[in-house]
Amino acid sequence: MIGPTPRSVGTPPAHRLPRWVLAFLGFAAALAALVFLSPVFGSVRIPWHVVVAIVLHQVTGGAFPTAPCGSPSFLSLYFFESAVTREGTARLLSGLSTSYGARQCAIWTTIAWDARMPPLLLAVFAGAALGISGGALQGTFRNPLVDPYLLGLSTGAAVGAAVLFTFNLAPAQQAAALPLLAFCGGLVPGLVVYLAARGGGRSVETLLLTGVALNFLFSAILDLLLLYRPSSNINVNFWLLGGLGDASWTHDAIVLSALLLGGTAIGLYGRELNILQLGSDVAESVGVDARRVTRRIVLVTTVLTATAVAFTGVIGFVGLVSPHIARRFVGPDYRRVLPVVALVGAVFLTLSWDIAETVISPIVLPVGIPTAFVGAPFFLYLLYRRRGRAVGGPT
Amino acid sequence: MSGAASSGLRADRATVRYGARVAVRSVSLEVTAGELLALAGPNGSGKSTLLRAMVGLVPLADGTISYDGRTVEVQPLRERARTIGWMPQEEEAGENVSLEQYVEYGRYAHIPPFSAAGAQDRRAVASALAAVDLSRFSDRGMRELSGGERQRARLARVLAQESPVLLLDEATSHLDMGHQLDILARVRSIARQEGRAVVLALHDINLAARFADRVAVLSRGHLVATGPPSEVLSSELFAEVWGVVAQLRRDPTSGLPYLVPELPRAARPSRRPGRSAARVHVVGGGGSASAILRRLSDDGFEVSAGVLHLFDSDTVVADELHVPTALEAPFAPLGADSRRRNGELLDTADAIVVAPFPVGPSNLANLHDLLPRVRRTPIALVAPPSGIPWDYADGAGTAAREALLLAGAESLPGVEAVEGWLRGCLLATVPDDGVPTTRANR
Repeated sequence: MIGPTPRSVGTPPAHRLPRWVLAFLGFAAALAALVFLSPVFGSVRIPWHVVVAIVLHQVTGGAFPTAPCGSPSFLSLYFFESAVTREGTARLLSGLSTSYGARQCAIWTTIAWDARMPPLLLAVFAGAALGISGGALQGTFRNPLVDPYLLGLSTGAAVGAAVLFTFNLAPAQQAAALPLLAFCGGLVPGLVVYLAARGGGRSVETLLLTGVALNFLFSAILDLLLLYRPSSNINVNFWLLGGLGDASWTHDAIVLSALLLGGTAIGLYGRELNILQLGSDVAESVGVDARRVTRRIVLVTTVLTATAVAFTGVIGFVGLVSPHIARRFVGPDYRRVLPVVALVGAVFLTLSWDIAETVISPIVLPVGIPTAFVGAPFFLYLLYRRRGRAVGGPT
Repeated sequence: MSGAASSGLRADRATVRYGARVAVRSVSLEVTAGELLALAGPNGSGKSTLLRAMVGLVPLADGTISYDGRTVEVQPLRERARTIGWMPQEEEAGENVSLEQYVEYGRYAHIPPFSAAGAQDRRAVASALAAVDLSRFSDRGMRELSGGERQRARLARVLAQESPVLLLDEATSHLDMGHQLDILARVRSIARQEGRAVVLALHDINLAARFADRVAVLSRGHLVATGPPSEVLSSELFAEVWGVVAQLRRDPTSGLPYLVPELPRAARPSRRPGRSAARVHVVGGGGSASAILRRLSDDGFEVSAGVLHLFDSDTVVADELHVPTALEAPFAPLGADSRRRNGELLDTADAIVVAPFPVGPSNLANLHDLLPRVRRTPIALVAPPSGIPWDYADGAGTAAREALLLAGAESLPGVEAVEGWLRGCLLATVPDDGVPTTRANR
């Protein structure tokens, strides 16, 4: 496949951690840092050490020093701060305990935790869901150019979800009904793509163009649905380009559950995905039920994508770019790619969300804009590099 | 492979359809443990399709394929993979995984779901790699292997399946001749030692005859012949199935049959009524003239030869090409009869080529008889290879050659130069359509 692969694929020396474990730990650390620090940014800037304190306080269920800010027992923060700036040390010496009032603290807590954390976590979970979906789909279709967005899965799911809003079907149980409807919407392109890929002998181009056609079709339906009730309180941009601003803890919980279930289900197919790279005939001859694996992966990625899309709208390119980054770090073995690609997707979408929030603050961009700015050129790069290769790459 | 001793893979009136086209037509065939069956036939005869049907990848329109009484088509995939290994002719490039991991893919059906490869799997991978002589590359990436190494890796992957049946579709098509023979020999010894039943699709009928216990020949989906190579191979079969005229020979050491194809007739210039192709007489012996005879005949010249001794390999070639030849008894000095016959051929030839034959007292006359004809007919002497003695007539051979050269004969550096010289000296006689003609028609 495309994507630079490490020259040496042998086992590393015993005294060092394997490369893929290092990559996994590295991305996990980057993600943790992002989660701790991202609430700093936005229309209101909050000192970063306060954010860290608030997050620690909330995450540990209060075990960390009771008052998130203004408490004199901030020993750890003292070390953080003093290590970074002299000003911080001075501020600490001048009496941290009195520098921020309790009211200020409450406001910051509300902003950092109650307002900023749900979208941030949604970015983490949805990014992971899209990343792992992209990785699994690229493996299943033996094709480095597919992702849930380009195949039309995302837009289809958005149509399903939009039905709920435009017809005001069940306002009370929206959170639960949304993913279901989104899943139904995503099943249509999922099925078409599955049939197109199963036809055998079809080229990458056929598959991608099928996705493009479906994308246009579903975008049109989506527009139709959104225009059908122009008075209703629907943010068109949210659906077409993705938005995380409306996230709630409930949404996070639903996407996380889908991610855990779906991610585990896909993760169990690492070996099968490896063997599928040799073609479905060879895979079947060594005992892999290629059709069943493909069916299940398309189904599970549809669930994952639909659940994410139901709460984030259509976000493109996360599923396209992340697997390539993951492969670059861990090589072509899907048993390693799948866990790492989830982390990469999460980091990618979280960073994009930070950019969307800050780049022309206080206006928050649809998160699909920064992902497209990174993803579209990357897609072209892959496409032309692929064209340039005379041999290799399955078609 | 215990318990496989009496078992085998059996096709019973197997028929495969692709839409309206019937690719395999009611083929009944059996291969038993320890046996190597070669499936031969021209391109598109249904070899690959039959193998795919045997491994259950193509549904049968009619008939059954079974192993040990169990129908292959309805076997669960994992169980089938432990029974039948299949190596396709082509396969997708795949990822740049290590050779070891690639071969381990063959163990898929042996490893329980959601488990890692165990000690037994690692042993099977190691012995499969050893069997194709790739053990030292086990850490290499698949993309870093050469084409031949990759093909051996694919064979190792199939061997690692440890299936009692192996279906190998053109297993050696990307290999050079050395590796081809090496791999086929290994496959045969694996079949023998481990009691595996092997079906080998081969388009090279001679390789099939050399290695297989039995040969099955497919033609347009039909099974037209099956049996031991010595019974199946014949010129008639080759003409019928491949559309190629070939001579059946027997390898003198092994006694195995092999076929030597002739160039298709269309490559020869057609003769027109009233005008025959220019005739070239070749003087040779001791195998020196074989290549010249063959080349000239292939290029469309009419050829004659003499004087040759019976059973000389030149004589065998001349006979095979249906070349008029002046013959003499083995090892006998050239007698009056053979020299007269040779003289007739010499006198009516448009050009004479002298092969670098070893000259001894018995055939010295072949050179002497040329002298009177130097002025009448263009004669070329192909120089003997340097460093190899050719004159066993106490210098009389060398003297005769020099006399010919002095009298105006041409000296050619090698066999390759013969055709150019002929075109040059027959130029005046070559009409627009490029077919050399005889003096008689000038």
